[in-house]
Amino acid sequence: MPDPSTTHGPTPSPLAPARALRLGVCGPVGTGKSSLIALLCRELSERLELGVVTNDIYTDEDARFLRSAGVLDADRIRAVETGACPHTAIRDDITANAMAIEELEEDYEHRLEMVLVESGGDNLTATFSPALVDVQVFVLDVAGGGDVARKGGPGIERADLLVVNKTDLGPFVGVDVPQMVADATAARGDRPVIGLSRTDRDSIDRLLSWVAGRLAEHRAGNLVPIDPGPMAAHSHAHEHPHEHPHAHADTHGGEPVGVHHN
Amino acid sequence: MSGPVHADLVLMLLADARLPVAGHTQSGGLEPGIRDGLGTQDVPAYVDVRLRTVTEVEAATAVLAGRLLRTGAPDAAWLDLEQAWEARTPSPALRDASRRQARALLRIAHRTWPGAPAWTALAALEHPSRAVALGALAGHLGLEGRAVAHLVGYDDVQTVCAAALKLLPLDPGSVVGWVVAALPAVEAMAARASCVLDVDDLPATTHPLIEVWAQAHAATTRRLFHA
Ligand SMILES: Nc1nc2c(ncn2[C@@H]2O[C@H](COP(=O)(O)OP(=O)(O)O)[C@@H](O)[C@H]2O)c(=O)[nH]1
Ligand SMILES: [Mg+2]
Repeated sequence: MPDPSTTHGPTPSPLAPARALRLGVCGPVGTGKSSLIALLCRELSERLELGVVTNDIYTDEDARFLRSAGVLDADRIRAVETGACPHTAIRDDITANAMAIEELEEDYEHRLEMVLVESGGDNLTATFSPALVDVQVFVLDVAGGGDVARKGGPGIERADLLVVNKTDLGPFVGVDVPQMVADATAARGDRPVIGLSRTDRDSIDRLLSWVAGRLAEHRAGNLVPIDPGPMAAHSHAHEHPHEHPHAHADTHGGEPVGVHHN
Repeated sequence: MSGPVHADLVLMLLADARLPVAGHTQSGGLEPGIRDGLGTQDVPAYVDVRLRTVTEVEAATAVLAGRLLRTGAPDAAWLDLEQAWEARTPSPALRDASRRQARALLRIAHRTWPGAPAWTALAALEHPSRAVALGALAGHLGLEGRAVAHLVGYDDVQTVCAAALKLLPLDPGSVVGWVVAALPAVEAMAARASCVLDVDDLPATTHPLIEVWAQAHAATTRRLFHA
């Protein structure tokens, strides 16, 4: 596994963006978003300058969980109120989150290298605006049932990374984990899927390696934010070709498509 | 914008909750009010009290900011106005919430109308209040004082009422009724606020309970709304 510290290049290219990589983590409540952020902080905070912005429904539950986990200096973890609109805060009106990220960057004199943004757990259709994050992870868990991955949705199909979390629980909830990961992979074309468990070191290393890759791309100025889109999923597997009209959410020249706000 | 458009359209743009200025994070003090015992039946009265106190100060401040912009007032006049607003907004939590809202508004305004003279004028203030920032923006876009005061009043009513829908068991249809019922009070407030010509005439109608609630809210841990 590539050590993330090796991407901590001595002299970043002058063309590379000076600001931190913004990594969004979204997905339904309880799937393990905060835990995944705590894991990344625990693994990376000695090597990288990190910040965290959370959006829990009751403002600072996630922030308090992360602060109490002791994995990052409490001041580097900021909570943003969403007025019970977690979906809006990452998509239609990203102002509060964008301001919180900018303030973190200013407070740390633009030394931050990565800011992790946790969405308030919302339904399966919520994804980040590419104006807010550079790259996004959608988190599902095994306990939510093996069918969820197959059903798809914008985040499941087109987030930069899909994490199928808590693979350790498979035997207890009657879910065939390899099958669930295979279904997710089939729904995503070439996009990566990681079956993750905090008890499985190999899976953690795969996650770290993926993050290191995105950081390297960001530093090289090659990372183009891709919008998973809010649109209904179309079936990559072509199992039900006539079920609904295709909403193509591939990107054209980096422009987000399939975005129809009113 | 290539040329001036009708003021009605500017007013609609600025009053529209879809303008991305984090309006969905605000409850106009309703969330802490409910925590302290306000119930569904109290919301219309709460809206009315705000219009006659804190919201009138906001509106008059915004009206004056527009006037400063039109008259090309010096930096000192902007500082005076901001300080007059501060003196009438003793709660640090309310000041902070206002300045965050101003920052959100100016973020999108700078991007949408780059290089406007209003931004040069506001540069005299390190962290302008929302009332001053909104007044300057509205002034730049050609809104008259009365329209700006309507905007501030209407927005406050809608902010509280929209938050009520999240916080209380309510039929959205009833809430529209509250908003409509508050419109005459918005109009009366705007008539008063738009007559303010000088910073010395700025109303000083505060409301201690709203301030106490705002302070308490800033220290709570389980909020839905920022303020
Ligand atoms: N068994 C197991 N539980 C996990 C794992 N990751 C997270 N959890 C648990 O899942 C629950 C929800 O996690 P949390 O991170 O708060 O989810 P969030 O709502 O998506 O932020 C917590 O009780 C975590 O301890 C894992 O890898 N295995
Ligand atoms: Mg969480």
